[in-house]
Amino acid sequence: MNILETHDLTKIFGGLTAVEDVSFGVRSGSISGLIGPNGAGKTTVFNLITGIYKVTAGQVVFDGKPIHNLEPHKIAQAGITRTFQNIRLFKRLSVYNNILTACHDLAGYSVADAAFRTRRYREQEEQLKSEAFRLMDVMGLAEWRDKQAVSLPYGVQRRLEIARALAVRPRLLLLDEPAAGMNPDETRQLMTLISRIRDEFSCTILVIEHRMDLIMGICENIVVLNFGRKLTEGPPRAIQSDPEVIQAYLGEGVKTGA
Amino acid sequence: MNWFYIKGILMLAGMNLMAVLGLSLLTGFTGLFSFGHAGFMALGAYAAAWAGVRMGLPFLVALLAGGLFAGLVSLPIGRLTLNLKGDYFCIATLGFGEAIRLILDNVQTFGGARGWPGIPIRTDLWNVALICVAATWFMVRLVNSRHGRNMIAVREEELAAKTVGIDTFKYKMLSLFVSAVYAGIAGGMMGYYTGFLQPKMFGMAKSTELTIIVIFGGIGSVSGSVLGSILLTALPEILRTFAIWRLVVYGAAVIFIMISRPEGLMGGKEITLDAIRRLARPRKASAGAGTRAGAEGREVQP
Amino acid sequence: MAQFLQQMINGLSIGSVYALMAVGYSLVYSIMSFSNFAHGGVIMLGSYFGFYLLTLTKWAFPAAFVGAALCSAGLAVIVERVAYRPLRLRNAPFLYFIISAMGASMFLENFVVATIGPTFKTYPTVLPRAPIEIGPIYIGRLDIMIFIISAVCLALLVYFLDRTKVGKAVQATAHNPRAAKLMGINTDFVITLVFAIGGFLAGVAGVMFGMKYTVYPQMGGITIKSFIAAVFGGLGSLPGAVIGSLLLGVIETLISGYFSSQFRDLISFTLLIAVLVFRPMGLAGKATEEKA
Repeated sequence: MNILETHDLTKIFGGLTAVEDVSFGVRSGSISGLIGPNGAGKTTVFNLITGIYKVTAGQVVFDGKPIHNLEPHKIAQAGITRTFQNIRLFKRLSVYNNILTACHDLAGYSVADAAFRTRRYREQEEQLKSEAFRLMDVMGLAEWRDKQAVSLPYGVQRRLEIARALAVRPRLLLLDEPAAGMNPDETRQLMTLISRIRDEFSCTILVIEHRMDLIMGICENIVVLNFGRKLTEGPPRAIQSDPEVIQAYLGEGVKTGA
Repeated sequence: MNWFYIKGILMLAGMNLMAVLGLSLLTGFTGLFSFGHAGFMALGAYAAAWAGVRMGLPFLVALLAGGLFAGLVSLPIGRLTLNLKGDYFCIATLGFGEAIRLILDNVQTFGGARGWPGIPIRTDLWNVALICVAATWFMVRLVNSRHGRNMIAVREEELAAKTVGIDTFKYKMLSLFVSAVYAGIAGGMMGYYTGFLQPKMFGMAKSTELTIIVIFGGIGSVSGSVLGSILLTALPEILRTFAIWRLVVYGAAVIFIMISRPEGLMGGKEITLDAIRRLARPRKASAGAGTRAGAEGREVQP
Repeated sequence: MAQFLQQMINGLSIGSVYALMAVGYSLVYSIMSFSNFAHGGVIMLGSYFGFYLLTLTKWAFPAAFVGAALCSAGLAVIVERVAYRPLRLRNAPFLYFIISAMGASMFLENFVVATIGPTFKTYPTVLPRAPIEIGPIYIGRLDIMIFIISAVCLALLVYFLDRTKVGKAVQATAHNPRAAKLMGINTDFVITLVFAIGGFLAGVAGVMFGMKYTVYPQMGGITIKSFIAAVFGGLGSLPGAVIGSLLLGVIETLISGYFSSQFRDLISFTLLIAVLVFRPMGLAGKATEEKA
């Protein structure tokens, strides 16, 4: 069963057609990949799914319901979150506050509750704080707890961005080049982390990546974009040996991570 | 230097504090720079005066009415302007601030440019202090809640805030509303202090002064706004002989602050009981990096 | 009909002064992406420079005019050096610039109040008072002069930007400062030059305002009209700034002529709000969706 489907997704900016007639599905509970050369439209697809861009044509269907053109925060509330290619953390906030802020929707207390520190406020704040601590522990961020996001090492920042996205309890997590700038060792750790996230947080994951070791290593299904159109999709074996994909993007001799 | 004089300074500081607190929420915590905030003071001032003088409502109720009126007007203004990008928003707020003043200048029911005299004097040190304490208390609680954190998220990285489910527009509106209410109450207190109202009391000079205090105290710090208001209201009064040069020095000081210490007096941190205790006690050996207790300091991180 | 033409001419005259201010402001905006709130201060001081050059040192009018404009150019460059350059060198967020600009504006205005004093000053009459009659219409000689001088300045600016190497460098920097720097353009010099040009134009505008009305420390507030005009025409677009200014001048004059002059300023603000709500990119701008 597909948790997410795009139908003929198209996005045109003025004179530039960034994405055209892209249709694919993401199976619920899977780790899927979205690959293609630079400029193929991958991040545009993410932006369309998460509501940052409005679609020019086509549909995005999540859990059977159309979500395209909804406000980004509504889409997040529906259960889709993401990380960004250029990390967009709350720079001056600490690791703890980055995650705590993102937990906001787990509570429902009003401004009045906050003003009078009602029982509702206190209990729910406790819940938020527990959740933030839990996430920090799970993601290995506890030692960085009070450090400002902008001062963290690059790899830690990426982990924090993922942790923050998880705070929203998404059912679908979109990761935009999470391994950028990582060495093979860190990439392997990331691959393990992504698998763990899928299992422990019960969410489906869709990854944009250029690192083929990661993609081939953990993705069950891969969608290939080229020049804004879908070239093909399929399991890693099929993609690796597809002549069109090899010509457009992979080149000869791509090995799997296994 | 007699008590009467000091009392006057304290009251003025308190009234500035009200408006500055409100603006601090909008600018310091939500990241929206408004250059027309005195317009909300004007709306609140005239509405409060009307409520008290023409409708006979008691003082505190009139103030509240003034604040609420300013808050209500902020809603359509917010609707129109909060979707605009940085620069445009600044210019729009500038426009609104001036437009409000111009309308008041030209509408004769409220006395036009010559003003509205004869407002009974009701503001005194006690009610100013009371209102300020209540206002600060509310602001601290708001900022330390998920609602405050959401506003800070809007300031830090609006796009990311949206993707974690924060309705950024709603929070900008909330921030504007609260800041307008605060400004309105401040304006009301002003009217009942001076005994008269004139539109030019709430012009660009006032808006600028408020913004300067917020910057000086430090963006994202309630205690910074409190300290800033007191210092920047008291100082010029004390240096009254140099009155003419006060604003010249202000202008130069602003440039200087931006160049050397843009985070202002408090640097975005707060004065909390924890912080005071930490200063008073020598540092203990690290009590474990990840403990809950350590994280519970009520610092509103910038 | 005559009344209408009369108002049109007055409107164009004031519009052309707005154009000078708006162009200077728009130039700075397109290079540095922030609103130079200190622009008004330079306009105001330009007016004072002209006044004193005419009355104290008793220079001939053309010399005083150019002198005032040059002094304003110099002042603008000083403001850039002191208030903006340090921020630029540290890649400060744009809001810091705006606040610093506010500080500079406050400093300049109140410096004049503290030193020269708040009383209004009137320019000595330079042109014969009698207006020129064309049929039923009276055109003030001052208005003609203002229009001509503005037109000449703008034409010179266009020539400079389009036909000279330095001018093209300015345009390149306005389009993309980083790329321009990588291409070997000395962006520091370009920025200084842009402020100087903006200051020069501001000085010209200041003198003309002073001549048409009076000189006082708060007159820098008129710069908000240039913001409105620039937004109206499309922030960052020079032709837009000119057209926006002329339109603004005409609309203001027509409305205050036919309805009430009290509401003249209110009209400009209403126009601003309307533009920001319905067409924020202005007349000349394009609707762009931000690429995330």
